[in-house]
Amino acid sequence: MNFEAVIGLEIHVEMKTKSKMFSAAPVTYGAPANSATLPLDLAHPGTMPRLNKQAVINAIRVCDALHMDIDREIWFDRKNYFYSDLPKGYQITQNARPIGKNGYLFVKSSNGLRRINITRLHLEEDTAMQHHFRDYTLLDYNRSGIPLMEIVSEPELHTGLEAADYLDKIRSIVTFADVSTGKMEEGSLRCDVNISLRPVGASKFGTKVEVKNINSISNVAKAIDFEIKRQAQVLIAGQAVAQETRRFDDSLKETVSMRMKTDSVDYKYFTEPNLVPVRLSEEFIAAAIAGCPDLAEAKYKRYIEKLGLSEYDANQLVASQPLCKYFDELIGFGANPKAATNWLSGEITGYLNKTNTTFEQFPISSSRLAELLKLIEKGTISNKQAREILEHMLIEQTSPSVLAERLGMHQISDADALKTIVAQVLDENGQSIADFKQGKDRAFGYLVGQVMKKTGGKANPGLASRLVKEALSRR
Amino acid sequence: MNYLDMTIVEMHHALIEGKTTPIELVREAIKRAKEDTNNAFELILEEQAIKEAETIGEPQPHNLLWGIPFVAKDNFSTKGYPTTASSNILNGFIPLYDATVIAKLRELKAIMIAKATLDELAMGGSGTTGHRGPTFNPYDRSHQRMIGGSSAGSAASVSAGIVPFALGSDTGDSVRKPASYAGLVGFKPTWGRISRYGLFPFAPSLDHVGVLARSVADATIVATAISGYDPNDATSSANPVPDDLHLVTSDVSGMRIAVIKAIVNSPHDKVIKQKFELLTSELKQRGAQVDLVSMRRDLLDAIYPIYITLSCAEATSNNANLDGIKFGPATWGATYAAAMMAARTKGFSELIKRRFIIGSYALMRENQAALFLRAQKGRGMIVAELKRILGHFDLILVPAAPSIAPRFIDKTDKLSEEYLIADNHLVLGNFSGFPSMTVPLGLKEGMPFGVNVMAKAFDERAVLKLALAVEEVTGLKSLMAKGGDTK
Repeated sequence: MNFEAVIGLEIHVEMKTKSKMFSAAPVTYGAPANSATLPLDLAHPGTMPRLNKQAVINAIRVCDALHMDIDREIWFDRKNYFYSDLPKGYQITQNARPIGKNGYLFVKSSNGLRRINITRLHLEEDTAMQHHFRDYTLLDYNRSGIPLMEIVSEPELHTGLEAADYLDKIRSIVTFADVSTGKMEEGSLRCDVNISLRPVGASKFGTKVEVKNINSISNVAKAIDFEIKRQAQVLIAGQAVAQETRRFDDSLKETVSMRMKTDSVDYKYFTEPNLVPVRLSEEFIAAAIAGCPDLAEAKYKRYIEKLGLSEYDANQLVASQPLCKYFDELIGFGANPKAATNWLSGEITGYLNKTNTTFEQFPISSSRLAELLKLIEKGTISNKQAREILEHMLIEQTSPSVLAERLGMHQISDADALKTIVAQVLDENGQSIADFKQGKDRAFGYLVGQVMKKTGGKANPGLASRLVKEALSRR
Repeated sequence: MNYLDMTIVEMHHALIEGKTTPIELVREAIKRAKEDTNNAFELILEEQAIKEAETIGEPQPHNLLWGIPFVAKDNFSTKGYPTTASSNILNGFIPLYDATVIAKLRELKAIMIAKATLDELAMGGSGTTGHRGPTFNPYDRSHQRMIGGSSAGSAASVSAGIVPFALGSDTGDSVRKPASYAGLVGFKPTWGRISRYGLFPFAPSLDHVGVLARSVADATIVATAISGYDPNDATSSANPVPDDLHLVTSDVSGMRIAVIKAIVNSPHDKVIKQKFELLTSELKQRGAQVDLVSMRRDLLDAIYPIYITLSCAEATSNNANLDGIKFGPATWGATYAAAMMAARTKGFSELIKRRFIIGSYALMRENQAALFLRAQKGRGMIVAELKRILGHFDLILVPAAPSIAPRFIDKTDKLSEEYLIADNHLVLGNFSGFPSMTVPLGLKEGMPFGVNVMAKAFDERAVLKLALAVEEVTGLKSLMAKGGDTK
């Protein structure tokens, strides 16, 4: 029997706003436990929520990128349940009226692009972080109240690859819109997969399994592929798929059962009485959308049309928002686009891979790297020298011009200064001139080499070569 | 006469003229608080209050609250000082911040001398359910009569003459009902006028901060001082606070006053009825138009069930934070669920648990439409009815309670059919959020009773005008319990 997988994704995006969803406490990563908290984040009695405007602006931007209908009023509900990581005993979320509805995006599938509909996007707040030990659990409320966006797709995905592409597109939107760092490994982007199988052509859905705790986009595809195989085997064996929540085990590359799902929990939703509904004016929505940084698609177009990059290079850049941002800064500081692309995809990516770090941790500021690239372009230093200078820049906060000076790397690009040296070399190598005149090209190379040797390698090779040629023609 | 027995304005003049000092007033207030036998206090802040009085600085001629002692209900967050809401689950809890109203009064150099008892978590109307036991009505030395609640200690301390005003909170009638039993003015301005930031919530859509005082002017002075938009309370109103309320007079000529027929006709003590009729005829003589108006009986009958449904539903959610994990007395358990259940089992009284169960039941998926949402709809219908009436009238005037303060022995927890309307109609002010004030109307057997005035949203001016007229007609101003233990 042939099965078709029915897959829906619930994606949680943690925002990188300055403050939390309803509290003035800062949004931080890696701060000492419980240092980024206010009484509200620990649900102290009498504290009241204040809506974060930037979080609403962010949601509008993402809604727009996903072609959603944007609600003109912001309403919040309480989702009531007791859990150790939930300080208030309820989460403030948008149940009845999500800010965004009825969106879509196109994903790559085996037969071209396919439209995937998106049910809703709503705003809510994150819970505290739990650290479980053998006999106890520690709670870190720094994460409590960080703004979240939940994006729920229709169950219209069919394969791991489609799901991965869908997730990647969401990641691209939220990172380029500057809403989130979008890092699955750090939990700023989280994805729960709902997956069931049904015979091809059937209209009824099979039993749904939820897979949680997947820490990378590629693992989402792997988890789905595994789950499709597992469920198919269960069904072929004539058994029923259990309604359960599973997690993805990164080392086994398998999904593992966490708990059975009984009837769904009753969250006793009701409208949050401490927040009055906020009306969004058309101007506010328009300004939020207009102020959204360029998304990957727009950047891609600009790189090709305005900067003359190849499709390949443009694609490489827009695969990562931090890379793009750095690239844009280099261009802003006057670096040559093609050279910038080559350096970023070559030397810099090499360094990041070698050190297993990301762009945010890259030690060289864009202004310094731009300066280095400009030194090459002006002919002050050679590519080879630039690579050596880069090694120093990775270790010390020094400008490339200072380093070039210190390392004695000034290229001699002054034609007058070089002409004297060229004349000297020619005077000392009569035999080579004769060889050259007899058509021995090697002699030309030898003469240029001598110029380089006399200048201790500092002569601009292109200029040296041109001057030797000119001088020879006159002899 | 001690300066502490005066009105706020008189006390202010005495302070400015140097006839008395903040330290004298505070010392006297603390002395009286310590002598209190009515169980009005959770905590007397002797050391802190005296220190504040000593370091208060120069007199401020334009600040009526400079150096005036007061009491706050123990459900207002006070930084550094225990706040328990009279519940065991918050024993020893020391808040990290001041409620906005506390901060405002601190800024104005009013001096908080104590935290007052209340019905546990402000849920109750008898002043008997707090973890320190019942609070007594200072008008009855035999301690047989209640003061009412939930702002029990606040009402008792003002009525006993310990302080000129106290902060209370009002979700159903918790300021305005005790005011009636204690011979006080109880005032809750429009919902949103006063920030609720730092008020431990019972039911946010109904919760109001209120003031208990001994005169209409005093209540208005305090309410005005703590009103205003607060960015920490998203529901607080940006509607400007009038600064000329001290110019309002008791002239009611031309004022259109509605008396809701079904409320006055529901069972009331005879004396209360008579006094009420005398009042309305006097108001007519002063040129007011007083009309009996009808209001749908089914809606009035629905007030109590709607109130219980909505307030319990919100309460169960608001108090879900009290799990013994983050603050308050810690209760250990093998799992979160075990620790949480142990803390809540131990920390809440039976009455509170019953309310949580009612609230939870009303919110359950299978019941929500029939109970919670229906109650919300009912609330909307009632408010529409009030708006209809106030479309034709400036104010609504009704007796505040059907009787004088009941004896503990007479008050059962059972829903009384007899007083279904007369004992619950003050909730109309919470459903609508309209400004509402209880003013003393008379005395029976030495026990006071009051009348209630309600106007349109943000029309505190109209409330004040009629309340001043009532005060003038009755002559009942600056009442203090003669039978109190502090004299």
